[in-house]
Amino acid sequence: MANSEFKDKIGQALGNSTLRGALGRFGEFYLTARAKVYEGYDFEILRDKVAETKAYAASHLDEMLDQFEQAATARGAKVFRANTGEDAKRYIAELALQNGVKGIVKSKSMASEEIHLNEDLIAQGINVQETDLGEWILQLCGQTPSHMVMPALHMTKEQVADVFTDHLGRLNDPDIAQLVKTARNELRAKFLEADMGISGANAAVAETGTLMLITNEGNARLTSTLPRIHVFLVGIEKLVPRFEDLEYILQTLPRSATAQAITSYVTMVTGPTPVYLPDGTIQDKEMHIVLMDNGRRAMYADEKFKKTFQCIRCASCLNVCPAYQLVGGHVYGHIYTGGIGTILTAFLNAEKFAENPQNLCLQCGKCAEVCPGKLDIPDMLLELRTRFATRKGLPMVQKFALDIVSNRSVFHALLRVAAKAQKPLTKGAPVIRHLPLFLSGLTEKRSLPAIAEVAFRETFKKLPQELPQGLEKPQGTIALYAGCLLDFVYPKIGEGVVKALNDKGYRVVFPEGQSCCGAPATYMGDVKNAKKSAMLNIEALSAETVDYVVSACPTCTHALKDSYKAMLSGDADWEVRAEVLSSKVIDFSKLLQELGGFELGGDGQGLNVTYHDSCHLKRKMGVYKEPRAHLNAIKGLNLIEMKESDRCCGFAGSYSIKFPEISAPILERKLQHIEDSQADVVAVDCPGCLLQIAGGLDQKGSKVKVMHTAEILLNYHSSK
Amino acid sequence: MLDPDELYWQFKERLNAVAGECYRIRTAQEAERFLAGLLQEKEVKDLVLVESPLTKAGNMIAEFESVGIRVYSESLREKAPVVGAGVTELNWAIAELGTMVQIGTDVNQRLASSLPPIHVALIQTSRLLPTLTETLKTLHSLPQIPGFVGLITGPSRTADIERVLTIGVHGPEQFVAIFVDEEAGEED
Ligand code: SF4
Repeated sequence: MANSEFKDKIGQALGNSTLRGALGRFGEFYLTARAKVYEGYDFEILRDKVAETKAYAASHLDEMLDQFEQAATARGAKVFRANTGEDAKRYIAELALQNGVKGIVKSKSMASEEIHLNEDLIAQGINVQETDLGEWILQLCGQTPSHMVMPALHMTKEQVADVFTDHLGRLNDPDIAQLVKTARNELRAKFLEADMGISGANAAVAETGTLMLITNEGNARLTSTLPRIHVFLVGIEKLVPRFEDLEYILQTLPRSATAQAITSYVTMVTGPTPVYLPDGTIQDKEMHIVLMDNGRRAMYADEKFKKTFQCIRCASCLNVCPAYQLVGGHVYGHIYTGGIGTILTAFLNAEKFAENPQNLCLQCGKCAEVCPGKLDIPDMLLELRTRFATRKGLPMVQKFALDIVSNRSVFHALLRVAAKAQKPLTKGAPVIRHLPLFLSGLTEKRSLPAIAEVAFRETFKKLPQELPQGLEKPQGTIALYAGCLLDFVYPKIGEGVVKALNDKGYRVVFPEGQSCCGAPATYMGDVKNAKKSAMLNIEALSAETVDYVVSACPTCTHALKDSYKAMLSGDADWEVRAEVLSSKVIDFSKLLQELGGFELGGDGQGLNVTYHDSCHLKRKMGVYKEPRAHLNAIKGLNLIEMKESDRCCGFAGSYSIKFPEISAPILERKLQHIEDSQADVVAVDCPGCLLQIAGGLDQKGSKVKVMHTAEILLNYHSSK
Repeated sequence: MLDPDELYWQFKERLNAVAGECYRIRTAQEAERFLAGLLQEKEVKDLVLVESPLTKAGNMIAEFESVGIRVYSESLREKAPVVGAGVTELNWAIAELGTMVQIGTDVNQRLASSLPPIHVALIQTSRLLPTLTETLKTLHSLPQIPGFVGLITGPSRTADIERVLTIGVHGPEQFVAIFVDEEAGEED
């Protein structure tokens, strides 16, 4: 759970309107621009190549390092392998000392910031100058980067002008072109004087010893042209096997990072090249390559985190992250920001720094969808969360809640009591302002629904289950897994599911022993309770006896289909059963499509509907066409796409409880898009999204209704 | 065989899109004359130039001097930071991206192309390659990967302040590509 100091930082970031404005504008621009610049290219193929290439290098790391060292040495470079940041710093500092270096120009290098290289060199009396414009601004005012690619994203031109005015002792106007010119002049002088250049690299080719730098400003070109000594500080994850592999990095990195087809400059350096010495003669420069580990090997050796080697530091995962877009980079506390930054920080700096920021992940999965390195960042963050929780235990309140949810009889009894107890509060209305139970007190931006008086498990017993006319016996049997929200809050969805599947000729059964899917425990890092839920449900659903197990909650479906399997793998008693369940579990919308789809219904009356994609349904299961097809099959229904339909609604399970201050503005943006679409109804396929969006709309006094697709279909059955 | 006209138009479109200028001229001599005029228009008073087959095909230095532009082809370390333009011949052009490829092992090639506010890049039209893939293959088929290979796509740029695109930070503010059709002999 996030501590109060961290909460304060979030509060500050949220209150910084400059930051929020800049991040918000960029977030909107980015997605469209990125899509455009990938036109004509198959992103999936490209990222397969990136992932493949990097995965190969990762699994042949020693071979790659040796090969690189050999090739670079053969071309005249000196290669030093630094196990730790301290080793790297010592090497570079000594090198500077031995060569009487007075001035250093640096081209953007995150590896050098990771180890705080500047401090050490400055302590030696050397003038160290960042030359990337954003980095230079931050250096002048002593700040840290808020974004991996655009470090000074959080500052306005006025602030930059003030920084320049302070530094140069003369007034600078907040005119961007002028500020850039000033930077050019100031830094040009430093370039011409410097004895040493330090840069990172975006890729290192094992086969040829080539280092590739990608920049727009041209500072890397000057760094590799002017000073007589050039030091490359390179993380070992930059290795790619072959020269031609550079193509994959080049085709993805600029596109994903800044939505450019290619940056202004790409510089490939293979061994030292000639430079002018101060006496006017021309001679080969000294070239040093520091290959730095600093915690990387341990990260790649960890089965759950080895894919971090595939990260090319494009920061597109930040650009699409709903939480990052609100709080910016500074709350992450270190050089590396965003979700991937949290993971890198845990291994390359210290694990404790990741403990708070890992909580910021909504698990919406948007980053994994755009990542050119094919990293499942949310999954890794969840692993971090689980490790923290396992080691330190969960806070009392959370633990208590999860223990209850994972204990079927206690939980269900409690819900029954609550259904009665809330009555005076709801006065029979479908939505209440305060939820009893453990979710209370957090309803500021969102009303919460009442607990259904009759749970679905009771209603189910009375459902007629009529098969289509002429069908003697059912096509097969489908077990319905309800999940808590459907069972106890939205029983109507269940009715819709049963009706739609009956229409397809299937009988539906409701296995009584089923209980919470365990997702709340999983997403809080509580493996013990999650496993308990898994076993309980595997037992209850006995998937072996049915044709399908259907669920109308994508979070449950994902748990049943993927999480149980992963959780119980290696457990001889349960592995096979988890596998069987996984193979039978299917989301309602998808199943309906597989069984032939919703058949034309509808009364021809116009109804404007917009569709919200649930994170888990779209990105964990790839289902987004199916529900739209069902809706489109309804006569008279007009489906309108809203803006950013697959952007998280901010519910994310317990997230809205942990970070209401972040969840609320995310919801707000969703509500805005919904209202802008001018639809009468928002269709969703997830009861969690339904709860979140319905609560938000109610609080706003909006007339738009939210319904689960199954409910909408149910409404139209009778009018077929 | 790929049509050079098509490659050229693709290249030009891409380069123009990132604020680079692009011209195609039949002979080296016409190119010199055109360029002299263009540089005058840009009010360039002096420049650095790295001699190459294309600059020697006619007599580029003489042509520039005849219109009053001072040309330095030596001591570039001192001159490149202070003159108005740099003229160099580059090695390939990538139609797919509007990118020019520079073998910059020679330090003067690097200085003249990165320090002055205007970089004029000369190239033979026959040096157009369709794709990046092709380019990397070509580079790799050389006896060894050159010590310095620069891919240049338009002028130097930044968006580091408020994400506003601003042209000309550390490198040139203007980038001019001149394609010459007539072959000027082998580049070494
Ligand atoms: S994790 Fe993926 S999206 Fe994020 S910076 Fe790395 S490569 Fe880019």
